[in-house]
Amino acid sequence: MNLKQKFSEKGPAFWWTGFAALISSGTIFILFISLVIESIPVFKAQGISFLWGTDWFAGEAYGALPMIFGSLMVTGIAVVMVLPFALGSAILTSEFLSGRLRLMVKAAMELLAGVPGIIYGLMGIALLTVWVRDVFGLIDGNTLFTAGFLLAVMILPTVMTLSEDALRSVPGEFRDTALSLGLTRMEMVFKVVVPQALPGLAGAVFLGVGRAMGETIAVMLVIGGIDRIPQPWFNLFAAGQSIPSKIGREAAEALGFDVQWSALIALGLVLFVMVMTLTSAGNILLRKAR
Amino acid sequence: MNRRLFKERTILFTLYGFTVCGCLVLAVILATVFMKGAPAISGAFLFEESRNFGLEGGIFYQIAGTLILMMGAALVCLPVALGSVLFQTEFLHSPQVKKIFRLLIYSLNAVPTIIFGLIGYLFFGVFLEAGVSWVTGVLILAVMILPTLHVSIHEAVESIPKHYREAGLALGLSPGQQMRAVILPQSLHGIVTGTLLGLARAAGETAAIMFTATAFSGVRLPQSWTEPVTTLQTHILLLAQEAANPEALTNAWGAGLVLMTIVFVLITVTLWIRSGLEMEAQR
Repeated sequence: MNLKQKFSEKGPAFWWTGFAALISSGTIFILFISLVIESIPVFKAQGISFLWGTDWFAGEAYGALPMIFGSLMVTGIAVVMVLPFALGSAILTSEFLSGRLRLMVKAAMELLAGVPGIIYGLMGIALLTVWVRDVFGLIDGNTLFTAGFLLAVMILPTVMTLSEDALRSVPGEFRDTALSLGLTRMEMVFKVVVPQALPGLAGAVFLGVGRAMGETIAVMLVIGGIDRIPQPWFNLFAAGQSIPSKIGREAAEALGFDVQWSALIALGLVLFVMVMTLTSAGNILLRKAR
Repeated sequence: MNRRLFKERTILFTLYGFTVCGCLVLAVILATVFMKGAPAISGAFLFEESRNFGLEGGIFYQIAGTLILMMGAALVCLPVALGSVLFQTEFLHSPQVKKIFRLLIYSLNAVPTIIFGLIGYLFFGVFLEAGVSWVTGVLILAVMILPTLHVSIHEAVESIPKHYREAGLALGLSPGQQMRAVILPQSLHGIVTGTLLGLARAAGETAAIMFTATAFSGVRLPQSWTEPVTTLQTHILLLAQEAANPEALTNAWGAGLVLMTIVFVLITVTLWIRSGLEMEAQR
């Protein structure tokens, strides 16, 4: 049977589902290729130095470093802050809670994951920035720290739920064996279950980090919006800028085919590559864990 | 009390502390939005149009805009997601190809939403000449929620017992008939929950639509394909930027309460359907 016959005997169901499958699998490539093509003008104008330039003046110079730095910084703060809470509650929920309580915690996390980003943004701008300003005695509460704090809350449900799944996928025999050897339950958890689930836990954190890095609206409202690396660079309580917040702020005015638009797309490309690297690592780790 | 037991207790106590803090966050968010938003809610607030850049009046057209965008997105997305899942489960046989397919969908799920906004505007706004309009917004959100629907429907189709399919095949059903008679009815719950979650995700999204589909003021219902809408999300964004003004803030919390109610109702119904199914499976 040649190929032509093979295809002609497929029914209409094959064709429409095939078309749909083509759309859903091709989108990611279209996104990537469009990002690359549309960012060419800024690389032509600036060269590769776009990536480590520190000045961004629309119409003159485009340098991405402050935004890349800001993204890494807020994401880093978010991860450090979320880890104890996400892993602690994942361990408790998976190893110590009864079935009913466990479902309740999971449901709460699912709801928390659904809270729209703009609500976090509103809480951030109306409450959190004021608290940060008063608690740390700052002039302005719009800082990298504020954005990181908000992101930590936002990714808590993602990291917690995925970590909990990873812990539960450790087979029960491991636990039984550990207990029969005379370990306490806590020793069992930290010496047997957690090491076994480690790839899965790491995967959960990577996926959370990926989400944090791409979050736009909440960060945009509280980060301060200044395209500058703080002096000194580890000063968390200075205003900054992350890649998504930069795009969010300027996209409306640059909409079209300008170099500025191209520079924003190039920022998008950098963000895309960073997030995809993190997420792929996370997915590989999660698959290994299963 | 011996030392091991003491250590055990201390760690357990700490773990409880972390978990309670995590759940408290949800409680704090709910309480804050409700307490700050409730004073703004009234019949007039829900059914009047906004005046003076949202400082006065209500949010009727904002609610309408959010509903238009999220429902449009789900309507556009559903046939594509469904078709794509069915192709994957019914026509693809190589496990290698299936794996790659899954990976692509998962990657799409991880793409930052602002990138959907950027590239979506290029495709739908510029190439399809829809401009900054509700159509552009619907299409962008449809692409954005595709993985959500896809994963949910895929899980449901995968969990159909093998003998159901075999029974269909034994009756001599063609793949198309098999889909209509066996797979769609048996995976209906996945289609419903996936769509609800997709609606919730679309309703909560701001970044992808703020510069591609919406105008901040003076907009009512769209009268043509290329007109922008106004939405709850962007309305809150507009008001949040005037956080120093107490009137703006009150109305922002009011709009936030309405938005969060929409999203939470959708998620709660999803959880309710799912837990019902789990109980049935345990019986």
